[in-house]
Amino acid sequence: MPPSIHPVDLILALRDKHLTPAIVFLTSRRACDEAMQSFDHSHIVLPPPRQEAIAAVLDKVIAQYPSIAEHPLIPTVQRIGVAAHHAGHLPSWKIAVEELMRHGCLDAVFATTTLAAGVDFPARTVIITQSSIRKSRDFMDLTIGEVQQIAGRAGRRGKDLVGFAIVTPSPYIDLNVLTKGFTGHPEAINSQFLISYPMVLNLLKAHPLDQIQPILAKSFAQFQLNQRAEVLQRKLDDLGEQMEPFGPRVCTDWITEWQTFDQVRRQKSHRAPIRRHEPPEVAARFHFLTPGRVVGFARGRGVVLRQYRSKGQKSPMITALREDGGITESPASTVTEVSDRILDCVDAPVYPWCTPDSVEDLLHQLEELPGRLPELPILIPKDDEPIPDAIVQTLGDFACPTCPSRSACQRDYPIAAKLRQEQHRHVKSIQALRTSLWHRFQEKIDVLQEFGYLTPTAHLTEDGEWARLIRIDHSLLITELLRAGAFNGADPAMLAAVMSSIAHDDDRPGAFPRVSSGLASLLGQVRKLAVSLSPHEDPPLLRADIAAVTERWIGDPTLTWIGLCKSTTMAEGDIYRLLARTLEFLSQLHTLKVTHPGLADTASRAIAALRRGVLEELP
Amino acid sequence: MTTEELEQLLAQQPIALLHRLARGRVQRHFRAGKRRLIEVLLRHSAENRAGFESDLMTLIGEKPTRTAPPLPQAPAPRKPKSPAPQRRTTHRSVEPESHEPGVTLSSWLEGLGVPPPKTFVADAWQEEAIAKLREGDVVVSVPTGSGKTYVAVEAARRAIAENRTVIYTSPLKALSNTKYTEFSKIFGADQVGILTGDRRDNGQAPLLIMTTEILRNLLYDAGGGEIDIRLDTLGLVILDESQYIADPERGVVWEETIIFCPSQARMLLLSASIGNPHDIAEWLTSIRTTPCHLIRHSTRTVPLRAGYLHPNGKLTPLFRTVGIPHGHPTHLHPEAKRLFLQYEDETLPSGRRR
Repeated sequence: MPPSIHPVDLILALRDKHLTPAIVFLTSRRACDEAMQSFDHSHIVLPPPRQEAIAAVLDKVIAQYPSIAEHPLIPTVQRIGVAAHHAGHLPSWKIAVEELMRHGCLDAVFATTTLAAGVDFPARTVIITQSSIRKSRDFMDLTIGEVQQIAGRAGRRGKDLVGFAIVTPSPYIDLNVLTKGFTGHPEAINSQFLISYPMVLNLLKAHPLDQIQPILAKSFAQFQLNQRAEVLQRKLDDLGEQMEPFGPRVCTDWITEWQTFDQVRRQKSHRAPIRRHEPPEVAARFHFLTPGRVVGFARGRGVVLRQYRSKGQKSPMITALREDGGITESPASTVTEVSDRILDCVDAPVYPWCTPDSVEDLLHQLEELPGRLPELPILIPKDDEPIPDAIVQTLGDFACPTCPSRSACQRDYPIAAKLRQEQHRHVKSIQALRTSLWHRFQEKIDVLQEFGYLTPTAHLTEDGEWARLIRIDHSLLITELLRAGAFNGADPAMLAAVMSSIAHDDDRPGAFPRVSSGLASLLGQVRKLAVSLSPHEDPPLLRADIAAVTERWIGDPTLTWIGLCKSTTMAEGDIYRLLARTLEFLSQLHTLKVTHPGLADTASRAIAALRRGVLEELP
Repeated sequence: MTTEELEQLLAQQPIALLHRLARGRVQRHFRAGKRRLIEVLLRHSAENRAGFESDLMTLIGEKPTRTAPPLPQAPAPRKPKSPAPQRRTTHRSVEPESHEPGVTLSSWLEGLGVPPPKTFVADAWQEEAIAKLREGDVVVSVPTGSGKTYVAVEAARRAIAENRTVIYTSPLKALSNTKYTEFSKIFGADQVGILTGDRRDNGQAPLLIMTTEILRNLLYDAGGGEIDIRLDTLGLVILDESQYIADPERGVVWEETIIFCPSQARMLLLSASIGNPHDIAEWLTSIRTTPCHLIRHSTRTVPLRAGYLHPNGKLTPLFRTVGIPHGHPTHLHPEAKRLFLQYEDETLPSGRRR
């Protein structure tokens, strides 16, 4: 069985059950395009009158937007009555598809889920083929709200009595996500209060610093933070009530008092630990007294056979084979010298602690040793006296042992301490919730002061006055570029190219035209600056290939839209969106005509050069 | 017992029993569907056939005693109400609830078609929203396709009639353009203007359509002293798709717009179904001079039904009921469940055959 239903079969099944028109949401643009291709040789054509109806609607749209007259999908759309609608298409094509849907000419539209919010047309049926969508390079399960948004396209008011949302499986689908989405209650939404540099500048332009905090307090973000703070406050009140019986006793802060006392008491346990009083040199040597080591005693030499510590003997012990053949047990402190020799010794678990053969052998070797042996250089650590614990010393100062409420304190301490810890935690979190927004704002102020857009008293400097007009992403990078004079003498194509590489945030790979060397070096500078600003602002992708597309479009006024599209593998819709975003960025630069007349002029020339062909046709 | 007999016996058992049988025998058995599970179990049983069979028999023998205890409890509360259904449940005692037959396909498809044309009558909530806008701000949270646009259009019409400016914002430029065409048809081209990042048409019209960013910029410039003459005649601000307030990158723009919206202008927030519209309404009430009214409902104008289409072309209802069983995601149609299990069985990693 195929992993998912074939588009032709899908359309047949829908037609059979009168479930058309339908929107089929697919995972990717490519899936939409492939679905369209699969109709190339199919025979499920529409009856001629419907084909004519489609042609009539299309003609009307083409009259308005000539750019789609040659669209490769038109034959399939007319023959079968299906169309694709995704971000890779030109807006004019999407308008055409929407128009066809509104007239009820189509049987199905293949669209991507990512665009579910932007699809502005309903249908009788919605086909769902997946349970997750790609969000910032990661696949995430659809939320309940998203499933309902998608399913909500089913059922046209006034045209349908019922709408149908139909799940058809494809690999990796999770039916639970979808059934939960259908039957569940949509998630609560949360504020995403992103404080940007232009926002700080604009707020400070209109309001003095001391009025900012009340303004931030009016945000939905603060409203929701307050809600959370209130929940905590309620918990805190509860805790306060629970703490009632643990109020002041003989001493006001008996919990801390008892805590310290208890700690001290624990540290000074009445059962004295076994203390081994061994001089540091003995302790240092002991590690070297391994089986086979030749050591010197006060009288004569010996070979260590084993070492041990036992509870009965307070000091570390060794067993040694002496020159006279005796095996003696003696404290490690009796060793007078440790030589660097180690004799071969096969040790055994019982007396005489080595194999009988090796006893003979060792004795033999011991006799043959020279009179003087080099000593092992052993570093003896400096004897550092443990610092007497200050608290332990003051144990006598505590009143607790003789206090009348001692038993009560001892009984209540564990629970009271836990409650109080909880209280402290809540107080801290509430404080953080109330002030976090303001702190984030202040952080931005600090950065802007550092860069000289704000005076130390948080007023706008000369640079700040114009910088506040740049209200787009990566505003700090753009204003810094302007201050560095990066665009002085740049031609419109270069300026627009850099702007588009800043504006573009998609990392879809593809083949692109070559970059001119001037642009490449300028982009290199921009990148350097962007990296140096990265602690304060996320650097843009700054793709040179993207810049090259814009550079070509502006640099060569004779280039047609089709010619541009052919020079890259980027989808038509993506190029359009790129240029449209570039236009937006350029028009922001154009607003700086008072302070940067040269730049504003270049920007307006770039805008004029950009707006031609397809870009002119659409608003 | 021959292998074939054993296979049949296994096939007759519920999948839960097979999983219990597989425990300790087969790794990752919980990933497998029934057919796959039987296959793997059979392969495994070759090593210790006798032990496997005896385990199976104990499990089968154990089954009735295991399911018996909950029996007297389950129907008990129903007892006084109706003895008849209770009896039926005792008969099918071993079957869990999910084996109730679901709706048939034909009854699920019933009602499909085009409603007779009738004159448009506004829903009660739409009327309420428009009426409440006279008293203060309004937040509307209704399912997709319920007719939010009607509220926007009517509210705009009334504000224009009172000689006030209306601003309508949408999150996407494409949506703004669509709405521009749509509203131009309704109000006449001279009554509607559009302002987007790079487009400025008919900027003096009483109804202005723009992206939310543009409105935010206008409000900033007004706050910064560059007075825009139009802000003091502003009567109504309509924020469409205001669930965008939760957008990670752009959500802040909606907040700024709402915070800085002039106090004499009414706000109309239109949003898809969200979980906490009352929070938004409360928030508006807390920061604006007039109280905010919340309009929410979750019933769709056109009822929705969910279906399941198998890759082989077989269509079945997805849920046991005709409509969508809100709050009961597990009430799946047995046929859909069976087909989907079969699908998973054949495609998911457990059936890693090529």
